[in-house]
Amino acid sequence: MERQRIDDLRAAKLVQHDPARPDAVAKVHRTGKLTARERIAELIDPGTEVEYGSIAAMDPDGHWVAEAGGIDYVATIDGQAVIVSSTDYTDHGGGYGAGRLERLFALAREHRWPVVFFVDGGGSRARHPRVGMDHVELNGPYGPYQLFDGIAELSGWVPTIAIVSGPSFAGHASLAGFSDVVIATPGSSVGMGGPPMVEAALGMKLTPNELAGVEMHEQTGGIDLLVDDEHQAIAAAKRYLSYYRDQGSGSPSPGAADIGDLVPETGPYDMVPVVRALVDEGSFFELRPVFAGSVLTGFARMDGRSVGILASQPAVGDGMIDESAATKVGRFVELCDAHELPIISLVDTPGCVTTWPAPVGERADGEQADGSPSTVTERGVTRWHTRPVIAHQHRSVPLFSVQIRQAHDMGSQIMSGSANARSVPVMAVAWPTVEIGHVDGFSATRHVNAHDDVIEPVETRERIVRLLRHIPRSLERPSKKHPIDTW
Amino acid sequence: MEEQAVQQILEARAASLGGGRTARRRLADLVDEDSLVEYGPLAGRGSSVEDTAYADGLVGGVGTVDGHPVAVASYERSVLEGTQSDRNQRKLSKLIYLAQTNRWPLVVFADGDGARPDDHMPVPPIVVYTRGRWDAYDGLAELSGWAPTVAVVSGRALDGHAGLAFLCDLVIGVRGSTIGSRFGDGGLVERGVEDYAARGEIDVLVDDDEAASRAVATYLGYWFDDGGSGEPDPTHDDIGSIVPDNRRRPYDMRKVITALADQSSVFELGAAFSPSMITSLARLGGRSIGIFANQPFSPLAGAIDSDAADKASRFVELCDAYELPLVSLVDNPGYMVGPDAERGGIARHHARPLASLHHRTVPLYSVQLRKAYGLGPYAMSGYGSSRKVPELRLAWPSVESGGMSLEGAAYLVKRKEIQAAATKQEARSIRDTYAEQMRDVAAGVRAGRTYSFDDVVLPTETRGRILSMLERVPRTLPAAKKHPIDPR
Repeated sequence: MERQRIDDLRAAKLVQHDPARPDAVAKVHRTGKLTARERIAELIDPGTEVEYGSIAAMDPDGHWVAEAGGIDYVATIDGQAVIVSSTDYTDHGGGYGAGRLERLFALAREHRWPVVFFVDGGGSRARHPRVGMDHVELNGPYGPYQLFDGIAELSGWVPTIAIVSGPSFAGHASLAGFSDVVIATPGSSVGMGGPPMVEAALGMKLTPNELAGVEMHEQTGGIDLLVDDEHQAIAAAKRYLSYYRDQGSGSPSPGAADIGDLVPETGPYDMVPVVRALVDEGSFFELRPVFAGSVLTGFARMDGRSVGILASQPAVGDGMIDESAATKVGRFVELCDAHELPIISLVDTPGCVTTWPAPVGERADGEQADGSPSTVTERGVTRWHTRPVIAHQHRSVPLFSVQIRQAHDMGSQIMSGSANARSVPVMAVAWPTVEIGHVDGFSATRHVNAHDDVIEPVETRERIVRLLRHIPRSLERPSKKHPIDTW
Repeated sequence: MEEQAVQQILEARAASLGGGRTARRRLADLVDEDSLVEYGPLAGRGSSVEDTAYADGLVGGVGTVDGHPVAVASYERSVLEGTQSDRNQRKLSKLIYLAQTNRWPLVVFADGDGARPDDHMPVPPIVVYTRGRWDAYDGLAELSGWAPTVAVVSGRALDGHAGLAFLCDLVIGVRGSTIGSRFGDGGLVERGVEDYAARGEIDVLVDDDEAASRAVATYLGYWFDDGGSGEPDPTHDDIGSIVPDNRRRPYDMRKVITALADQSSVFELGAAFSPSMITSLARLGGRSIGIFANQPFSPLAGAIDSDAADKASRFVELCDAYELPLVSLVDNPGYMVGPDAERGGIARHHARPLASLHHRTVPLYSVQLRKAYGLGPYAMSGYGSSRKVPELRLAWPSVESGGMSLEGAAYLVKRKEIQAAATKQEARSIRDTYAEQMRDVAAGVRAGRTYSFDDVVLPTETRGRILSMLERVPRTLPAAKKHPIDPR
């Protein structure tokens, strides 16, 4: 082979690398952010990456043309094989184009590799930025899936983790919306239509963050986790992924012995310290900590075993379950079930509320600071409240239910499912603080307080750990159980 | 046999049949004459022979509707405010269990004030419990996606009654009825079913109990799928004239649905919620189908916001679970954009219909009448490479497509020229000229040339084309449940 061929190929590929484009790199660094390749380097185990689609085409003069808009790899993170990808907004707006991601989604489906990707960008490119009509393209949408049905297919089969650091609109936002978890950095945005489209359609001039800021999404559930910067985002993605695998053992929290002291006889209290005292030291990783704060969701470990934590949060709205809290629980149950994470449910809720628009006459004064219309909450259930009940009925992961104090209305079914469900709770216990014999508008429809035991708070951890040893976790199965609802 | 015992049974039965009149009238309206086998008519609040809590406030049994077995129940307000007790809930659970094991539909009239405050459990060992595998809640959750469940809210459904209703696939509200709670020290909280319908919690509103029973029978008819006339609607031949010549003028998609489906076969769900997306059960050549369609004649002009996405997604799950083939009628400017839509979570909600369409196994026939921009076509037709591709994607000659609205694209591409225009008229002319050019690229014959659609057909050819394909796909209910139906 002529030496020139090798040199040409190398030269073409280098175009995309940071040393070849100092201006673009400086521009990225000025914003305090990492380049696409720096992001990936920090995310993966060194030396494990295999790049896909670095060459896009051959031009009419016979020169190789580099792919644009981002980079895609198969690599490992903490030894786990993954698909990793980053858009690159300095390169043609980060627009995805030639089908690389579709190809990798097909590989993820085939080999059951999780996906971690940075998805800032403005959607698909209208045409290949470096290729004209007379170029011969190498890449194409080969494989069984297009982009969005590819990510839909992965839902519930492998973890999909999206990181948004910058503006993410149109197709990029759609990829985020399909993902199991969306991690974002401050000032970023996730929206279906970007500022130019909004200006054209609605005549509103807004910055990306004003239009669809992740700070707003943190409140309303559009993202799962808002962290301080890209380093933290990468660390959070790795941490999230780590729960896909179990560890051999774990240490109890230093506060484990005093767990019972954290719950008062009456009145509100913070459930987070209770969770921390129950699970392995430092292992609680909360998801959606701000949205629908009256319930907690997150991952943790129990003697090394990965588990999902579902808990009432009496410190927020007394732990009342509104529509958002119900949907947060329903989606989390589907997530844990799909990825075979046993669920520990800590129940202490006075019941369900429904959100209604405030009466029109009261709206002008009652408008909230963020501009959203003011609302009133009233006792009662809606269809949203039945979502987690149906999710529990169809889950097959084991669930440990701990009733701390109260569980009124549909509270117990929403948090733990039914005592007679398809998959009954592997253990339902109560602490001595449990309220029994209380009659509410729901209790005749279930076998109230069907508890396997009443135990001291300090016994809870060991009970769960022992039972978990009898129920080994297995991800082996020929196909996914079900997709994870995106909402 | 002891005369007195026989006499007591006969008297107690007669008393029970004479009581609970509202519940009995409802069930009589619903089921075929003399078809009801009643369960637990002698159940009482207590166990004394003199007990007058007829049927313990829940009349229920198995009857037939249009010849098909259906489990039916109604709470009776005149008995202890229709409250739920251990006994009447065990009765309901038994009926749910029968529905589950036999794959029968279940219908329940939820008229009552939640749990009975002073309910007393029978003392063992005298009583042998009758119960189902499941309680009412998890039983309804188990039925979801397996056999149809219908709740009728007539009167007042508080707490546990509301919970039961919202676990059903279809909730029918009788106007003037309320849903609410009587929990705790807050007193009674209730709101009209109309309020719930407007936010998508109730699917169908009717005027009275009789209309509710007719609506139940109509809904179950699509599940039974045993025909109808199969005749086209009288307006069918004019279906093409419903879409105006002026491409920017709205029209009523309901007229298209009426003209396309069999005569008098359309039953709309969720009419009071998210008017930009229409979801209707219907028949085509006698076969039950589900139609979901954009509504250009709505405040959002057919744009898909979070509510519309949720509504479409749920409908796709419903039809997929019950093996009803889907027809989508497409004319939308894409997903809704702007700060309100983003606050409403469109970046996550938009994926729901896409995911539902991807995972469905029922056939989908889609017809693009006019426009579909951005991700709009996928929201209605799924992807060409999904697990289950659309059986047929048709377009009408008026079709137009693009990455975003043609006017919006013109605004972006011709921005400088538009801003420099001397008059508003000139600006509009620049925009419209460009939009017209772009429309021409993807419209009419050229939509067929690029094989963007399986065919471009005349409006009057649409019905026959879908019907022909539909005949090749017999409806077979799978042996196991595919998936539950997401309530929202």
